[in-house]
Amino acid sequence: MRDVRLMSYGEAIREALDDALAQFPDMLLIGEGVPDPKTIFATTQGLREKHGADRVLDMPLAENGMTGICIGAALAGMRPVLVHQRIDFALLSVDQLVNNAAKWHYMFDGQQQVPLVIRVIIGRGWGQGPQHSQSLQAMFAQVPGLKVVMPTTAGDAYHFMLAAIADNNPVLFIEHRWLHHIIGEVDKQAPAAGLDGAAVMREGRDVTLAAFSHMSIEALKAATTLAEHGIDAEVLDMRCVSALDVESVAASLAKTGGKLLIADCAPEMASSGHQLLSKLVLAHGDSLKQAPRLIVYPNHPVPTSHYVANHYYPGAEQIASAVLEMLGRSELTASVIGALQSDLPKDQPDRSFVGPF
Amino acid sequence: MSPASADLKHLYYQMLRIRRAEEAIARRYAEQQMRCPTHLCIGEEAIAVGVCAHLTVQDKVFSNHRGHGHYLAKGGDLPRLLAELYGFAEGCCGGRGGSMHLTDLDAGFVASTPIVGGTVPLAAGYAWAEQMKKSGAAQGCASVAGGRMPEATNVVVIFFGDGCFEEGVMHETLNFAVLKQLPLLFICENNQYSVMTPLAERQPKRDIYKIAAAHGLHAVSGDGNRVDEVYELAQAAVANARNGLGPQFLELHTHRWPEHCGPNEDDDLGYRNPGELAAWKLRCPLLQTRQTLLDAQLSDDAEIIQMETCLALEIEQAFAWALQGTRPKIDSMRQHLYA
Repeated sequence: MRDVRLMSYGEAIREALDDALAQFPDMLLIGEGVPDPKTIFATTQGLREKHGADRVLDMPLAENGMTGICIGAALAGMRPVLVHQRIDFALLSVDQLVNNAAKWHYMFDGQQQVPLVIRVIIGRGWGQGPQHSQSLQAMFAQVPGLKVVMPTTAGDAYHFMLAAIADNNPVLFIEHRWLHHIIGEVDKQAPAAGLDGAAVMREGRDVTLAAFSHMSIEALKAATTLAEHGIDAEVLDMRCVSALDVESVAASLAKTGGKLLIADCAPEMASSGHQLLSKLVLAHGDSLKQAPRLIVYPNHPVPTSHYVANHYYPGAEQIASAVLEMLGRSELTASVIGALQSDLPKDQPDRSFVGPF
Repeated sequence: MSPASADLKHLYYQMLRIRRAEEAIARRYAEQQMRCPTHLCIGEEAIAVGVCAHLTVQDKVFSNHRGHGHYLAKGGDLPRLLAELYGFAEGCCGGRGGSMHLTDLDAGFVASTPIVGGTVPLAAGYAWAEQMKKSGAAQGCASVAGGRMPEATNVVVIFFGDGCFEEGVMHETLNFAVLKQLPLLFICENNQYSVMTPLAERQPKRDIYKIAAAHGLHAVSGDGNRVDEVYELAQAAVANARNGLGPQFLELHTHRWPEHCGPNEDDDLGYRNPGELAAWKLRCPLLQTRQTLLDAQLSDDAEIIQMETCLALEIEQAFAWALQGTRPKIDSMRQHLYA
């Protein structure tokens, strides 16, 4: 029986953590700021009061050491969830994540497991700048043994978080900061999620938009406006970066006449979008009937100033414009882009958002 | 408390076992069948043996690239260690690890790995989990502890070298260990060299254990080549950690005789001061212990010969078993990426 509730992505994460703390007695929730008054953008709000300070706790500013400590606790049977408020801080723990967590089960011949979740937040806006807004998912996904997921909807956020905590492997759980506000349906009774597979966010017959994380929202926006002009785009949310679901993309291309646009929220160099394209060409080269498009970030750091950062991030307008070119409908570009343009500054996800985070 | 006579004899036997096993590995290494970087611990046996003498099988040990002695002293399986060096499926890691990755969970030897400092926080995390299980902080403690509370706190031991003390992760871990008062023993085997670079080129002149003490640990230093001294210091440290007095730190001075990695001696390379190795050899932990046993008439030549005979047989049999190992199947290479 469906028991659907509407909640924001951020609330869905809080709810998943709350439910997981109740469901998994060995779960720990730890990270810089987890119990502080801001509670990681309210995603850990009230959890310490409910589940105790021994299980919901802050930590010393020692990202690598604490990652190792969480790995050790996981080896001893705990299920730690470690939070980095920015993915940039996870770089300090790359040694432990890559050298230990990701390959421990493999290198000890399957005798030991590391059930560890690392929550990291990527994002943009309000001057996050070069060291507070990097999108390094492809770099982490390159490490064998590490599961990397980027849920986009509130429902996926909830179920992926529970699945990640239940998983006996290290999972990097990537949240785009701008998704936290977006409200969606969460059906707690839905079957447990696997940490693989793409999701069809919108069915369509004219073009396949395969997108990652917040770019899936931008693709949906583009698709909605294109639909007003009779263009029917299918939007696939790629969700699982380390287990790219190429088959679903190929199946979609069979419906949409082999027209593919990939939108990734990461710099151009070796992005997950490139990986998806490469796998698709190698496994299903004949599924593409025309040259695919790839919308990614430019290959330089994000400058802080919003006057220029606004031009760094591609969005629905670029996606729609590229789709119109692909379909030979460029005469619609001006009106589609006009419809997509917003008076909201581009460093702001919605009107309720006033920074500074 | 000094080890009782029976204990001292046992300690000697354990050190001799590690020494003879390492010598046998060194002899056979030239055959090119053990094809992995192998770091021998000849000269450093007293530390592993003196510390592990106080541990039960429930206590856990983490180690580093120079881990054979820790593994054997904790009760790790010698034939499976050798099979691992040969890359056979019967090795303790199924041939996936080699000398630098050892495990024997039945013995409470969790893991050794070669990234310097890599296992230090893991040991702390393991000790943290043990502490939470004991206190019932984690609601799942009953299920984890098999439905009952453990009688005494299990301790976790991390062995590392002086070079590790330069790694940030060591200091991060010391901070957390004290913060949480973990049942954890830090055992610093100070052999003065990181690969071939002497301590004086890497660290200012100050005592390592005093830095640990400044972090708030109970920290002492001692002669790592005297197994009776290591035994006494470790006895107190283990008891303190078990009794909730928090993490303990031992800096034990010793020396590695063979080259950093490989079966040979490398004194000809000249990175050690002339006579340094020779002087340390005079302070051989086995030689000193044997002399004590003989002087105090706790043992005699006949008994020591019997020990040697017994060990020679055990080691020969262990190699014979290991050499009959099977090659890991090619398609096993893909297994175990995920649990």
